[in-house]
Amino acid sequence: MPATTVTARADQGDSPVRPAGGAPAGARRRTGPLARIPVPLWLLLPAALVLIPLFGYPLYQLGLLSVLKFGQPQASGGVPTEFVGLSNYTDVLGDEQFWTVLGQTLAFAAFCVLTTLAVGATCAVLLTRVGKWPRLMLMFGALGAWAAPAMTGSTVWMFLLDTNSGLVNEVLGTQGHNWMYDKWSAFAMVAVVVVWHSFPFVMITLYAGIQAIPDSVLEAARLDGAGTVTIFRRIMLPMLRPLLVIVVIQSVIWDFKVFTQIYVMTGGGGIAGQNLVLNVYAYQKAFVAENYSLGAAIGVLMTLILLGVTAIYIRSLRRSGEEL
Amino acid sequence: MKKLARGAALAVLAGTVATACAPGTAKTATSADKQTGTVKVWLYDEANRAPKEQVVAQAVADFKAKHAGVEVEVSYIPTDAGPRAEKMKGAFNDPSSAPDVVEFGNTDLFGYTASGGLADITSDLAGWEEGKDLPQDLKDTAVVDGKTYGLPWWLGVRALYYRTDVFTELGLQAPTSYAELKSAAEKVRAAHGDLLGIAVGGKYTFGALPFVWADGGDLATASGSAYTSAIDSAQSQAGVKAYTDLFTDAICPAQQCADLTGGKTVESFAAGKAGMAILPNSSRSAVEAGAAAGKYAIVPLPGAEAGKIAPAFSGGNDLGVMKSTQHRSLAVDFMKELASKKNQLALFDAMGNLPTLSSARAEVVQKQPWLKPFTDTIEAGTKFVPKDAAWAKIDAQNVVPTMLQKVITGKSDVAGATKEAAAAMNTSFSGK
Amino acid sequence: MISKRDNRVLRQGANTVAVVLALLTVFPLYWMVLSALKPKGEITSAHPRPWTFAPTLENFRNALGVSGFGRYFLNSLAVAVVVVVVSAAIAFLAAVALSRFKFRFRTTILIMFLVAQMVPVEALTIPLFFLVRDIGSVAPGFGLSSLGSLMLVNLAFSLPFAVWMLRGFVAAVPESLEEAARIDGASRFTILWRILFPLVAPGLAATSVFSFITAWNDFVFAKTLILDTDHQTLPAALMVFFKPDENDWGGIMAASTLMTVPVLVFFVLVQRHMVSGLGGAVKD
Repeated sequence: MPATTVTARADQGDSPVRPAGGAPAGARRRTGPLARIPVPLWLLLPAALVLIPLFGYPLYQLGLLSVLKFGQPQASGGVPTEFVGLSNYTDVLGDEQFWTVLGQTLAFAAFCVLTTLAVGATCAVLLTRVGKWPRLMLMFGALGAWAAPAMTGSTVWMFLLDTNSGLVNEVLGTQGHNWMYDKWSAFAMVAVVVVWHSFPFVMITLYAGIQAIPDSVLEAARLDGAGTVTIFRRIMLPMLRPLLVIVVIQSVIWDFKVFTQIYVMTGGGGIAGQNLVLNVYAYQKAFVAENYSLGAAIGVLMTLILLGVTAIYIRSLRRSGEEL
Repeated sequence: MKKLARGAALAVLAGTVATACAPGTAKTATSADKQTGTVKVWLYDEANRAPKEQVVAQAVADFKAKHAGVEVEVSYIPTDAGPRAEKMKGAFNDPSSAPDVVEFGNTDLFGYTASGGLADITSDLAGWEEGKDLPQDLKDTAVVDGKTYGLPWWLGVRALYYRTDVFTELGLQAPTSYAELKSAAEKVRAAHGDLLGIAVGGKYTFGALPFVWADGGDLATASGSAYTSAIDSAQSQAGVKAYTDLFTDAICPAQQCADLTGGKTVESFAAGKAGMAILPNSSRSAVEAGAAAGKYAIVPLPGAEAGKIAPAFSGGNDLGVMKSTQHRSLAVDFMKELASKKNQLALFDAMGNLPTLSSARAEVVQKQPWLKPFTDTIEAGTKFVPKDAAWAKIDAQNVVPTMLQKVITGKSDVAGATKEAAAAMNTSFSGK
Repeated sequence: MISKRDNRVLRQGANTVAVVLALLTVFPLYWMVLSALKPKGEITSAHPRPWTFAPTLENFRNALGVSGFGRYFLNSLAVAVVVVVVSAAIAFLAAVALSRFKFRFRTTILIMFLVAQMVPVEALTIPLFFLVRDIGSVAPGFGLSSLGSLMLVNLAFSLPFAVWMLRGFVAAVPESLEEAARIDGASRFTILWRILFPLVAPGLAATSVFSFITAWNDFVFAKTLILDTDHQTLPAALMVFFKPDENDWGGIMAASTLMTVPVLVFFVLVQRHMVSGLGGAVKD
């Protein structure tokens, strides 16, 4: 690490990669040459031009819809909309099904996140321990799974699991077994596909992270007499922390919002709606049951839940001295 | 934390503070009457649709011969309730990508009308020469508040298809009561483990309803124009039990059958994988094209008591013109072309769809003895779903399939599942 | 102490596990391609075999010819390419602003970018549907059933993550370089374009993978916003193979293969940058 880099970066409090506690908080000197530009906000202008109308405004409309009575007659039949206050919310919260769906969404997401992280991290460590060819093979396989669009991943796995002509039943000798029949079996199958899709991101990111730890650092630690565990805990973990955080938070976001796999594999929510997750539930309420405002209310509740997760995440970042 | 709070608050506030501007304020579709251009048509994508396509292609050619410079673009849309509802909703919401002429199930009409999607074609039909032949009771199925929104195109009634080879081999007779139906189904599967005793489906609403009706139950009862669900009445419950009792390992294993739609039961029977199935006349072409061809016969679906026929759902599809059409008279003309006697007869030959025009129907019934079980079923009395805008919603939300599937999979008992379904229906009926 | 022999055994074991995992991971893709190449009879056979002696392109011909998949392919490609390019440009500028400057609301804006990723975009389809419908009456090129609407919407939803990720890459470039350029008299634009941009390029490549995936995989917007089959993109078009009577697995697998190949190509192209880029986020 050249010394100049360190000083130049001293006021860069926002890098997700800087080891914890590296920057004096509150250092607000503008040293970069670009800092002379009077308003840095103009760099953000293009992003704002896209995001405010296409993200902010719909978000506002989502909230607005959720307090209106807005069904198909309002959307296309010329019937005026009507302000109904929080009645959509009381409808949703008073519906037993919502709580069931919420519970299984959380359980499903948690399961997917944990499994993805476990598989991804294990593979990342494995990659550092194997020869060139096995490594390339695993890398290639993982890239393939990562590259496969959610849609095609779902269709391929559906075909593998098909009741009558699926390979899985053929291999296991369980012809005629419907993997999507039992609620938890169906969830498990979708989870397999989700994990298959998302573990490569975790694996490759963490592997890259481990590789990037300078050998000299590890060497030095070893010379100082640190054992494998100590090296892992004291050196690798702190250095990988920023990446781990990215990986965890991305997994949470992605898995909580799984839509395509559930929608495609369980045919819109499974037998008697047993495999509904919030996303699909909201979609069904809005676009199938024509109750746009009820769907919007569910969407708002979902956003609030994820905001809660974000808040916890940011708070824990702050606690550990990290700055955004 | 302060900044976090601010950031979050900004985002959330943006979403929850309700002020003046309403979203996507409803635009009422404006129609036009261009005499050139392309008439867009949406028809149902039915099992084994190739013969239907041929009839339609001929109709298009005839139409184009009469209207120079006009193109016709036919698309086939999904028939399953959910996807179909989505597709139609898109068309109502976006007139620019909507078709001009559309085929729809006669039960969908009330919902579509409430959504303001269909054009009032009362006067167009009044002046239609061939249409004089359309029976009044059929016309009435497409009337809302005295205005006609649909042209009944063909009829579909369900009856019991069974495999003659298997029945003969096992010394079975065509069932004449529910008890016989059930025992025949068990015997078929006991002798042929690879056959379903009877192909029934958890998502097959119109396969289940005859059982409900046969036991004296109904979906809903009307008082004036208001409906109240009756699916949880004692009679309805008995019917639901009768139907769901067929989902056993000895007849139609829940594993395989809980998620079947009506279309899948057609496929199953046609492929020779079921001893019996409850299929409409319009599915005969699919059966004829499959492995079961020549090895089946049809009888009316037996009722609860011996010798009685279970009331069938008086199904069928209508043609309609979208309110947003830009080619109103061309659309009406094309609709009439499709529904002409010539094409109704052709469609019957292709698909087995029963014509709506009385003379055409008389003709085919005389020519085709296989239709007898279907006409017998019609004469014994048919039933219909609630004539209410809420029905489309109830259908699209899979209220009945969910109820059936809950019982079939053992998630709920008949009483519990029907009560839940009744509540869901009443919510829709009350316009919530 | 672990002996050298144990070490070798351990390494052999690890190698075996890695190879097995690799095969398991890649198998579904192999099965997809294989099934796409199988003749009709073999696909639905009751005893599927993991090979075929009679490969045929019939399924591909059907997909491209009969079902018009070629067109959907081009639609998807157009949307994805536009989204990747525009999103990279916008995200780059925004990332520079957020990692090179200290200004009021910086943290607030950052948090909003994070929050934006949390929003369940599927829920936003409801208002977006009406918004796009209204846009369409002013600018038909961006209304319902237009590829423009998909480009805009996917752009909006790939941006927050792109900015969030790119920020780290920009921050990893030593400011001393810009300093030196400034002393040499380079303009701000030159610094941005000639110095910073090339150095962040690997990060941009890594980021663009995500934008590409967002746009290419998008199912829910294509499903809701595109009502006209001519402008359908691949994921939603794939659903046409799911028939009420019988799924055409050969066609589905051929179409799935066609849909996966471009992403694989894209991945292989930027793969090096991606790994080094992600790694670079740790290296200082």
